[in-house]
Amino acid sequence: MNLLAYIIYLLITWVITVQVGWLFYRNGRVFILHVMHGDVATTDAINRILLIGYYLLNLGYATLMISTWAPLHTWKEVIDSVSQMIGFIMLTLGIIHCCNMLVIYLLGKRNFHLHS
Amino acid sequence: MHTTFNYIAYLIYLPVVIIVTWRVAYTLFKNSKVFMMDIFHGKDDIALSTNKLFETGFYLLNLGFAFWIMQIATIGSAQEMLERLSAKIGGFFIYLGVMVFFNLYLFFRGRRISKDKGRLAPVPDPLFPKA
Repeated sequence: MNLLAYIIYLLITWVITVQVGWLFYRNGRVFILHVMHGDVATTDAINRILLIGYYLLNLGYATLMISTWAPLHTWKEVIDSVSQMIGFIMLTLGIIHCCNMLVIYLLGKRNFHLHS
Repeated sequence: MHTTFNYIAYLIYLPVVIIVTWRVAYTLFKNSKVFMMDIFHGKDDIALSTNKLFETGFYLLNLGFAFWIMQIATIGSAQEMLERLSAKIGGFFIYLGVMVFFNLYLFFRGRRISKDKGRLAPVPDPLFPKA
């Protein structure tokens, strides 16, 4: 039962993480461009490094969470714990994302003051 | 151990939560584009990107919370199932409403700050500043 839960959990978590990472990669580019004052080459390099860092951090974290799993015996327990773990991972992703947006906002504010 | 009611409860809970979150996010972020255009003075690339990032965060936080609280202890009867289910779904909807109003607050605040700045000084192009 545990093995089944791990497989479902890993599949869903990896799909979500990769999708979200791709979304961030495409939409975050404009912001880095903003902070880097329109330097396209540096922006793309930073963006790619950020994407790799994001994948390493989140997939590693998601995989690490498996080690804390209690033994499961019934289908109900499998559904319960898989949903709880996926929810936890998504919440963590969301909170990290909000922190990132805040950092970008503060950086943008600082740059605005420097240039005006 | 009878867990049939639990499966029915999960089968009702998950679609309701996912569909409502999707509808709310769709409506909220379709209409927030106007705010974003105002905040970024009509620069549509950065406005749409910000909109998309907010949308992603909204989905992650709300669906994550919905999955996190899904677990229901073993249910004995249909009446108990309905009571538990309504408590859970109602609680989640209240949380969703609070999140929506928080997002609206952020949009209005951003627009106000952006307008204040526009009144005080001409805004330099943040993407390609001259100096």
